[in-house]
Amino acid sequence: MGNIFKKLGIGLVVGGALVVVGHSQELPVSFQVLFFIVALIGAIVFMLLDAKPIGTMSGGKSVFAVTAFWILLITVCIAGASLLPQFDPEDEKAKIGKLLDKERKQSAQGKAEELIARAKALDAQVKALEERLKGIGGGQAATATATPPAGDKPSAAAGGGSASGDVMKVGEEQWQLQECYNCHKLRGEGGKKRGPELDNIGSLLTVEEIQQKIEDPKSFMAEGYEKEWQKGIMPNKFKDLMDPKEMQALAAWLGTFKNASVNTPKPIKKN
Amino acid sequence: MKKLSSGLLSLVVLFSLSVAATSVYAQEVGASTVEFPYTGNRTAVWIVAQLHILFAAFILGAPIFVVISEWLGYRKQDPRYDRLAKEVTKVTVILFSMTAVTGGLFIFVLLAAYPQFTTSFINQFYVVFAILYPALFITETILMYAYLYTWDVWKGEKKGRHIVLGVLLNLVCLLILFVINGPTSFMNTPPKAEGVSPQDFIAAATLWDKIANQSWFPLSLHRIDGNVAFGGFITGLIAAYMYMGSKTQEERAYYDWMGFAAIWIAVGGSLLQPFTGLLLAYEMCDYDFSFCPYMMADQLSMFFETQGIMIGLLFLGINYYSWLSVKRIEGADNVRMTILAPIVLIVLLPATMWVMDKFWIPDPMSLAFLLPLVLSPFLFGRFIPKTVSARTVIKIGFIIMLISDAVWLTPAGFVATGTDMPDEMKLPEGWDYLSSMPAKLSAILTLVYVTVVNYVLYNRTIKQGTILWGKIDFAAQFVLIFLAFTSTWIMGLMGAVRSLLKKYFHVYSLVSDLSAESFTPTLSYSVWWITAITVVFIGIVSVAALVALRPSVARVREPEGSPVPIAAK
Ligand code: HEC
Ligand code: HEM
Repeated sequence: MGNIFKKLGIGLVVGGALVVVGHSQELPVSFQVLFFIVALIGAIVFMLLDAKPIGTMSGGKSVFAVTAFWILLITVCIAGASLLPQFDPEDEKAKIGKLLDKERKQSAQGKAEELIARAKALDAQVKALEERLKGIGGGQAATATATPPAGDKPSAAAGGGSASGDVMKVGEEQWQLQECYNCHKLRGEGGKKRGPELDNIGSLLTVEEIQQKIEDPKSFMAEGYEKEWQKGIMPNKFKDLMDPKEMQALAAWLGTFKNASVNTPKPIKKN
Repeated sequence: MKKLSSGLLSLVVLFSLSVAATSVYAQEVGASTVEFPYTGNRTAVWIVAQLHILFAAFILGAPIFVVISEWLGYRKQDPRYDRLAKEVTKVTVILFSMTAVTGGLFIFVLLAAYPQFTTSFINQFYVVFAILYPALFITETILMYAYLYTWDVWKGEKKGRHIVLGVLLNLVCLLILFVINGPTSFMNTPPKAEGVSPQDFIAAATLWDKIANQSWFPLSLHRIDGNVAFGGFITGLIAAYMYMGSKTQEERAYYDWMGFAAIWIAVGGSLLQPFTGLLLAYEMCDYDFSFCPYMMADQLSMFFETQGIMIGLLFLGINYYSWLSVKRIEGADNVRMTILAPIVLIVLLPATMWVMDKFWIPDPMSLAFLLPLVLSPFLFGRFIPKTVSARTVIKIGFIIMLISDAVWLTPAGFVATGTDMPDEMKLPEGWDYLSSMPAKLSAILTLVYVTVVNYVLYNRTIKQGTILWGKIDFAAQFVLIFLAFTSTWIMGLMGAVRSLLKKYFHVYSLVSDLSAESFTPTLSYSVWWITAITVVFIGIVSVAALVALRPSVARVREPEGSPVPIAAK
């Protein structure tokens, strides 16, 4: 008993100290809890290290003990993992639904004509938008007026009627669906320093060039990403996951980002 | 021989069943009309696949150390090794039939749940599934039964012949592992080339191209040493059961020794696991970098948090077992170690974190700093007169392990996915280094190092003292059970991770999974199934061990058995 109380006491003191330090450093509470739990596990470990040996159990008693031990293990595992934050599948289901929608329809067949018709309509919209963008571009790409303020819907800044609005929607949706945000910060969201911030990409590349970059990530390489392992980070798979229209829409949407206050690195043409 | 023929028969029946099923389903191409009750289709496949790989891992891993053990017994003329080898082989043979049964069930469930994909996938690897795999499997069956049944025939003069047969069996086992990991790894990282669409590339690819995909070799490596470790842990479990059921002190002495030998092997395999595991993860991320955030930062981040917890506990368990083992060695109190050892233990974690931050992995400078550091107790220890008792070193080791665990378990933030992590959940600036890859790597390295130091000490104690076999703290048997549970559970968890990495594809970026179940399940849901699978697996293993080893308990009590002296070394 003395052993148990002594170790428990030390565990509580160490754990408490960690919590105090964590608190003073403004670590989120969940981390303080983590460190506290590790300290308590430490207390248990040291209780076990110094525990008196258990004598050999009889058959019946050991069956009982093993069963109880199993139940304990199972409970701890399930409860422990269930207490960690859980990813909500609904977040993903909607996305996957959109991504697979086309293929599902195709595999269900009969919808092919409808798809072609829709693709044609989208194509026309893209053409119209490209015309308009050329009109806006006119050499003063990086002016403040063309810059969508952070947090603002860029489609609003790009203006235009419902046709370009649709393309913009498709573009933004592709950004979400293909999870570009996992590597790129845009409008101050996402990123995590894996790839460059893209808020000024519209001033550095034309829509066609952006599309080229998505299609073949080796076509342009951002300045400052010259290390061998960095060259292969941006996946070379998007041309297989998006159809050309979607890629165009994504490029067109990105082309509207001309926020010169963000330091998007210069893309260098490779081939 | 009756067992052999019935085993073969059931295999043939299973195989023809699965072929018949293939052709039936091939005709009605289209979405599955079958819906497994309660579990749903995906989880049904998950359960049988995981059970199958657990049995397979054991029957591939166990023969490796069975042969080594048989050889050791032959060389040292120590009958315990031979008995261990034979007993494990008996259990292996029973579990072998479970592998065949779950394998047949696996194909069946796959065809029922995903008829279209499964048929096309089998066609993709036709030579493997129709010729290579069945041929290898039948060869393995024959070799395995031959190995068991010639045990008592080929002894003495002919022992060498028997060992060669065992080596042959192992070669076939390894071949099976490499062959079947081809299609498995193909689903994660199908070969691709720049400038060609994946579909065109696969259509033109040879079978070898498809098998030798980017994650094939690392996956196979990680599974080989994983299987050895796993085989060891499961053998430890069997030893624990038999120890608990032993009626005599001789039996207890033998099964105590068996647990000791099994954990030795398991630890050998486990120490390699982090390195091959990282290689596997590295190749995956190199194939498609988006795997990396998906695993470590986003949907699966808490799966990895759980992996960290379990591996931390596994290492604590391993070292606790060696602590209990040392405790029952007479003369352990006299064993001392150079003071350099605890010093290196204490500075290793911060030193590695600093070095890894300055020189990240491929940089040889990191090795230039770390190698001398970790080797110094063994190289220079003898020149320094000051020493510390074994107990103190081990206890310091435990504290270091706990600190390393804490570092390993510190994520960027406790959120289900890092994509939209609110600032107030994040580690504040200045502390975020704790959640970086270099910090994690340092933590794993330190865990491995502490274990190595403990084993060096343990070995020294064994050499200098006398092991009182059969006198180990009874608690050690619970540690053995704990280790078997944890390692099985980790396999289940990581198997799920590898499979989920394919995201909403059957074959990554090539064949979409159009069913409604292609999302990432919650950790809680996954863990329920992983635990259930673990319990079923361990339950079957326990029954198999009881069935296989009961008679031998009776036989050994006869005078011709080989009694083990209680204080034998
Ligand atoms: C796995 C991480 C990752 C993902 C996902 C990713 N990228 Fe990138 N991207 C990078 C990295 C790293 C760079 C910098 C190196 C280079 O140019 O390839 C980059 C560069 C770029 C550039 C050039 C930036 C410049 O300043 O030169 C553009 C444009 C771009 N990405 C667009 C996208 C789009 C659109 C998507 C989604 C379809 C996407 N990226 C998805 C990692 C990623
Ligand atoms: C001490 C450390 C480790 C142990 C004990 C361990 C153990 C295991 C085991 C037993 C398996 C199952 C093998 C099989 O199914 O045949 C496995 C699989 C796997 N491990 Fe590890 N591992 C360790 C470290 C790592 C690390 C550091 C990583 C990467 C970050 C990793 C990534 C994986 C992956 C992706 C799989 C899936 C392979 C499969 O399909 O089974 N492992 N691990």
